[in-house]
Amino acid sequence: MKQIIAIVRDDRVEDTKEALEAIGVRGVTFLYVTGRGEQKGRVSARELGGSLNRNMRMQLASALPAGVLPDSATGVTGSPLNQDTEFALGFLPKRMLILIACDNEINRIVQAIVNVNQTGCHGDGRIFICPMISAIRVRTGEQGDKALS
Amino acid sequence: MKMIWAVIRPESAQQVIKALDTAGIGGMTRIHVTGHGKDMGITIGAIHYTEIPKEMLLIVVPDSEVAKTVMTIRTEAKTGSKNTPGEGNIGDGKIFVTYVEDSFAIRTIGKAGGDLKRNETDHCDSTG
Repeated sequence: MKQIIAIVRDDRVEDTKEALEAIGVRGVTFLYVTGRGEQKGRVSARELGGSLNRNMRMQLASALPAGVLPDSATGVTGSPLNQDTEFALGFLPKRMLILIACDNEINRIVQAIVNVNQTGCHGDGRIFICPMISAIRVRTGEQGDKALS
Repeated sequence: MKMIWAVIRPESAQQVIKALDTAGIGGMTRIHVTGHGKDMGITIGAIHYTEIPKEMLLIVVPDSEVAKTVMTIRTEAKTGSKNTPGEGNIGDGKIFVTYVEDSFAIRTIGKAGGDLKRNETDHCDSTG
């Protein structure tokens, strides 16, 4: 039994849910997290416009000096901006998925998550595979692999 | 490869992150959590609080950097003077270290130049 911890883009979560359902994975825990990686939270204006949901964009717009975000990104007025300009935002909003699965299902699940989430740009996320000793279904008391099915 | 779960005071989070940055640990995930330790929370006046807000940092590092990371978090998250050795205060937090068997960067997995299993040192960040 393994624990899969995947950190993915906020706007890919719905697609990821569908992809996981399609391969028969039902139990997933979702967490709102913030994080950063190799880029230390730097994003370009282009990414700001494309990969964040509206709620998050408005939040970022209020955190950044006026006019630094392109109109298309926020829907608020501001001066046009070079799309390659980078902002250091520190911690970016991400979604964390936690799944517990049998050993032989790991590859299939990782592949499904990657298929949906790979854009080739920084910020696609990470997947960690950790050992998990046991699982217990609270309702019935079933243990081990039985608790997962 | 190890995953470090550090539960720390929200007030010291920024300081810890800065120190980790300086130590070369750039990638991490941050989660707001609540909880209590063996003191079962705190009582202020007539009210007993059992869900104390904390900040959880999730950091994945190669085995060789675990000691450095844990020491950095410990030094910065401990309240009281850093120069005096010894104890801080109740509620400073805890650090847990668990195994990570595999780590994938979604950006490069399956692509040219990015094998399914990359070198361990490529994975010392958790958000890509």
